[in-house]
Amino acid sequence: MIQVLVIVHALLAVGLLGALTHQAFSVARASASAKHNIVDRFRGVSSPAFTNTIIILFIVTSICGGLLYPRYRIDVRTTLEDLQLRAANGIFEIKEHFAAVGLGLLPVYWLAWRPGAAAEYVATRKYLTWILAFLAWWNFLVGEVLNNIKGLFP
Amino acid sequence: MSRYAQFKVFSILFGVVYTLCFYLQGAYPLSPWWAPFRYYPAIAEWHVERQPPETAGPAILWYAWLAEAFVFSALVSVVVPRRLADRISAGSVWIIPAALIVVILVYERRWFL
Repeated sequence: MIQVLVIVHALLAVGLLGALTHQAFSVARASASAKHNIVDRFRGVSSPAFTNTIIILFIVTSICGGLLYPRYRIDVRTTLEDLQLRAANGIFEIKEHFAAVGLGLLPVYWLAWRPGAAAEYVATRKYLTWILAFLAWWNFLVGEVLNNIKGLFP
Repeated sequence: MSRYAQFKVFSILFGVVYTLCFYLQGAYPLSPWWAPFRYYPAIAEWHVERQPPETAGPAILWYAWLAEAFVFSALVSVVVPRRLADRISAGSVWIIPAALIVVILVYERRWFL
């Protein structure tokens, strides 16, 4: 059961990363009218269409992580402590804090991306999207490193 | 926009309260205020009181910090007058969380020293 949950957690995180990275790229610069290369096509998505999906994926992925946390605390963290891998514990501590900060940002992120949001929110939605993308990338990479730590650091 | 202005209060407060909770828990580990409940995964039980680690194993405080941040932020965002919430600048809703991320990274550097 726990293996299924780990895989579901990872798949949800991949979906979240894809949506957030598309949106983060699309707000970085005004979309080019002629989409010749792959970067332009990657950026040239309808950013607002991703917002609700990102919010739902962020919440569901976090809930999944919260369900996995007890098993991590007992099995993985104690192993890391036994092996004196303090940095590995540290990056996970940051991961849990980042998940919390990201969850808290979701209401205002939704507000900034609402259709018809005031012009003053143009910069805000760009930076909020970048912050959420940074948090999601950190959490994904840390999760993958910790999941594969025995192979990465034999 | 003012109809949802309270969302700005919630989002700013949530991160601040969460960060304060885990920081103060570290500074005052015996205080019950910063983590009002704990989950002990080894025995699969929730407790308000601290349990001895020899019998209960390690505790998870993350759920309590999240719950505390959610309840406090939700209450304040409901109570705060809308005209005050409207005065919160659009910039502060990303600058404060960005600053919190830096604070978290600086605080957690203790793991890498």
